[in-house]
Amino acid sequence: MPKLDGLSGVLRQVLVSFPCLEPDDTLWTMPGRALKNSSLALVTSAGLHLRDDKPFAADVKGGDTSYRVIPSDAKATDIVQSHTSIGFDHTGIYRDLNVTFPLDRMRELVARGVVGSMAPNAYSFMGALRDVSRIVDETGPQVAQQLKNDGAEVVFLTPT
Amino acid sequence: MLARVFEAAGLVTVIIAMVREHVEKVKPPRSLYVPYPFGFALGKPNDSELQHRIIAAALELVEKPQGPVLADFADDEFADNLPQSSGVTRSSAGEVTDPADEIAALRAFYERWVDDNAGRTAVGLSGVPQRRWRGLVRFLEAYSRGEDVDMKERPADVSLPQFIRYCVDDLKAFYYEARMVQKPSTREPDLHTWFWGETVIGQLIPAVGEHMKDSDDPAAKAVAFGIAR
Repeated sequence: MPKLDGLSGVLRQVLVSFPCLEPDDTLWTMPGRALKNSSLALVTSAGLHLRDDKPFAADVKGGDTSYRVIPSDAKATDIVQSHTSIGFDHTGIYRDLNVTFPLDRMRELVARGVVGSMAPNAYSFMGALRDVSRIVDETGPQVAQQLKNDGAEVVFLTPT
Repeated sequence: MLARVFEAAGLVTVIIAMVREHVEKVKPPRSLYVPYPFGFALGKPNDSELQHRIIAAALELVEKPQGPVLADFADDEFADNLPQSSGVTRSSAGEVTDPADEIAALRAFYERWVDDNAGRTAVGLSGVPQRRWRGLVRFLEAYSRGEDVDMKERPADVSLPQFIRYCVDDLKAFYYEARMVQKPSTREPDLHTWFWGETVIGQLIPAVGEHMKDSDDPAAKAVAFGIAR
């Protein structure tokens, strides 16, 4: 996104006043080993899910804080997006899933030996949530635990 | 915030950030700010070289000894130009006046899109099979007139307005994918200008949104903004 002072109109207003949490502390985990030996998982806030999974909902107060599991070997044809926001251009992801969810690029990095392996699952949330408390307290920690159970060490997060 | 939750659990996280001002506040451990519009986190569709450069710049942050780190991916800023329905002037009505006929006329292009993309399509949220889309159009027309209508494909746990949103998302995806085959040189934002300004469905969808906005049902009001604005 261009920086906000370069924007005008409704979008700038929405983004400037967006209710972000502003924590004072820094959380930091040191990698246990080199990336080329690590297991990497994708997590996205793009509202993606498998075609036969339940779409995300737009009619939940504060936003839909649930998540979906997407196996890392899923085909692009099996992944769809039910993002509630129309404040972004959908044509990019219509043309290429990787512009939001770089499954193919990560597989290529594994093939090239840059990344050790793909964790078995990716996880998907809905972005643009005005109330993230359930993500922070419930669904986020649940997914963190699942990622650890999957053996993931590095998590690559993408928005839409 | 997800990055912080994961990092607290002992995972190493790196995020692609679209709004620099937001990550400055939220302070995820490792962020790469990209200057692209929403919907283009990894730069450009079908540009794997650029996508790899962005990913490499993000993964470099994993080697930093301490943080939070916020790096910038240097590229030209894209113009923020996403026309919405209210911002598009409608051109004069063409020959076709029934959205169902318009859909039928676009079907061959849509099917070629699916073939050309190895079966991939963004259509599929509503669960309404395309052979029933004439009925879907009649349903949306009746809804926009305030009639009490429903469709049998709506699951019991999905509200009527939410179901309509999925139907509208399917219709949009169908039209855009068809148009990208019909006129491959069309770039954003002309795709949006075409959809809202020149198609008949681009008139019906805002009418559905208007009806939702005027509704007393909070579920309808919550969905209205995402139908068309």
